[in-house]
Amino acid sequence: MFRYLMLAGLALFLPGLCALGYSLYEGPSAWMLDSRTFWGTPISLFVFWVGLAHAGTLLSAVFLALDIKLDRRTALIAELSTLASLVFAGIFPLMHLGYLQNFYMVAPFLDARGNFANVSSPLVWDFCCIAVYAILSLLFFVMHLKARVNPALDKYRKPMAWLLFPLVLWVHTVVSLDFATTFVPEWRGAFFPVYFIAGAIFSGIALVNLLLCTEGYRVRLLERLQLICSWILCAIWFWDFLLKGTFFASAFIFAGVLPQLRLVSVFRENRWGRAALSVSVLFGLFLERFYLVSPEYGTSSSFGWIDLGLVAFSVGGFMLLFFGVRRLLNRYAENAGAYFGEVDGSDMAKVEEAEDAERVAASGLGVEKSKKGFYIQPWSSEEYRILRFPLLVGIAVALIFVVWAWGQLPFVNVELSLANVLPLVYPVMALATVMTLLARIYFVEKSFVLHRREKILGVAILILAGACAGTFFAGGASETSGASVDVAAFGENTNVDLAQSALVWNARCATCHGRDGKFNEKFVREYYPVPPKLDLPRLDSLGTDSLVKVVLNGRVNMSAYANRLTPAEAYGLVNYMRSLAARDSGEGAR
Amino acid sequence: MIPLVNALACLIALGCASFLWKKGSSPYRNGAMLVGALLLFCVFTYFGGEMFDARLVDPTLEHYPFRMMALCLCLSTTSLTLYRRRYLVLAQALWFWVELFGGIALFYRGFDIAWMRILAILGMTFCSTFLSRISKEMEFCLMVFWIAVWVFF
Repeated sequence: MFRYLMLAGLALFLPGLCALGYSLYEGPSAWMLDSRTFWGTPISLFVFWVGLAHAGTLLSAVFLALDIKLDRRTALIAELSTLASLVFAGIFPLMHLGYLQNFYMVAPFLDARGNFANVSSPLVWDFCCIAVYAILSLLFFVMHLKARVNPALDKYRKPMAWLLFPLVLWVHTVVSLDFATTFVPEWRGAFFPVYFIAGAIFSGIALVNLLLCTEGYRVRLLERLQLICSWILCAIWFWDFLLKGTFFASAFIFAGVLPQLRLVSVFRENRWGRAALSVSVLFGLFLERFYLVSPEYGTSSSFGWIDLGLVAFSVGGFMLLFFGVRRLLNRYAENAGAYFGEVDGSDMAKVEEAEDAERVAASGLGVEKSKKGFYIQPWSSEEYRILRFPLLVGIAVALIFVVWAWGQLPFVNVELSLANVLPLVYPVMALATVMTLLARIYFVEKSFVLHRREKILGVAILILAGACAGTFFAGGASETSGASVDVAAFGENTNVDLAQSALVWNARCATCHGRDGKFNEKFVREYYPVPPKLDLPRLDSLGTDSLVKVVLNGRVNMSAYANRLTPAEAYGLVNYMRSLAARDSGEGAR
Repeated sequence: MIPLVNALACLIALGCASFLWKKGSSPYRNGAMLVGALLLFCVFTYFGGEMFDARLVDPTLEHYPFRMMALCLCLSTTSLTLYRRRYLVLAQALWFWVELFGGIALFYRGFDIAWMRILAILGMTFCSTFLSRISKEMEFCLMVFWIAVWVFF
């Protein structure tokens, strides 16, 4: 079964790969772009896949944290689906950035030039949250696999689950803020965090139910949840309709109406029927995200072959990756044979309870506890060591990070408030907490044993991470243009007209730098990193030749304009920039 | 929204809370009650906030039904028989969540964040984690606190 599904995935993935290659070569003009929001298919796919990535944590971590019993096999499948979905969720925003090679600038990481990510931008929040979510989900999954052979690790899964519980909600909340913090009328909505989370949970559950159909068994609890989620989402759509008058009919039919067929036993009791209902939900929610991201769809934009190719790339790639890894995990699933079929986890719960009772009896703790005056000091209790202490370290690191970020140079020019940095606090805290917990497990308690091959892999990952950090710190290539234009041949006396330069400035530069040279507020809010303010002392320190060279050849995130401007026009722009700065400093002096 | 309608919203949330989580009820019944309450809150906000009149639309009401839902869930936890502290903390965390991120979304559109309300909920969420036993008196105090936060902050 898995082999056929992998072949089907490959059949979708290969043509999709061609579409992806063409998209990267051609840039955003290759795919469908909305004329009003400038977002298109890759962002729709990003929101869709990051929503699906919630399934693993929701079902495994949240159920574990809340003591809702779920069999290990289902939890493993859910966690694996998270990781596979995250791979494809991460690809699409990268290709949409335009400057793919500078993607690391969304990381709140200081580089050698003093550039620092614009922490008030939702893009930076996205990067942080998704990166931390991916790392913690991977660690949670590895911990799950290792716990099969080393049951001592099981006790650390619950603290990790409690950390992942808010994180999974935080990730999609931040994704929703990409929309809700803009001025696009269709995206205004302080309720978007709840809306996006409800949609993500719904799609995630549908994906897990679909994957369980391929495994040949079902979990009724998840099917019930899928139906209830459809009601909740319909209620949210109703509010969206009251608020803005928008209504996605096809999304409503596929994700709101058709899932109700679960109430009909013919569909419910048939494996193909259940699979069809889950596919219907996923299709409906993809349409919903598509309409949401591109409100102009059908009027100024339409879906083309490249867009279909990108969809095929992600669906085929997911199938290939998920079922490929799933085949390797057969031995873990085989060990859980007792829980196959119609499971609610009650059998497993009884086994665990009995094992717990045995452990307490063997340690003699039960007898100790019954003695009068039995007392465990708070800082030596198990809970303190594996949860509270790492959490305290995490909180301290998050606070230090906020203070450090706040003190960075760009924020002298750009006002920063608590609301701008709050979305970064929890991911930083969760990452530091889990790293402290892992360090404790590995170095102090020594219960996390790595084999030789795993150690080599771990060292290789550390070296790779160090190399990446070094490259990011170096800041990449200065000039974005392949063919550098030598400006020495042109003198400063090149004839320029300030009025003509003002027109060129407004046409070419004002989008980012603002008509008055003080940044475009939207750019500062949504882009990365914060561009340096072009005030008179800075312009004087850089010099005219250097600035003309930057205009023509580009630098870091500044595009090269050598093929669109003449050197004379570039000189004119620099002079115009100087006149704006002089006007600004004159106003400041007054 | 005028203060009187805002106070009425609190009463409606309290009324709906008494219908949630009946002992032994099925997940479908619980889900339907939740969705029914949410639909009621949406309709109440639409008419109570006069959102049908485009000239009076107040962006701060965009997440009002979900704030009502969060308050309703907080109030409903007092009738739980098992895991009361856990779900009490979780319901307050949900309310904090809705207020904080709704506030951040509005902040980027030029509105002030209701820090007092957020801090009050966060403080009570934190303090609730220390409750070892929730007596009838404590239930009443919690409900008064939530209603005060709703009405005055």
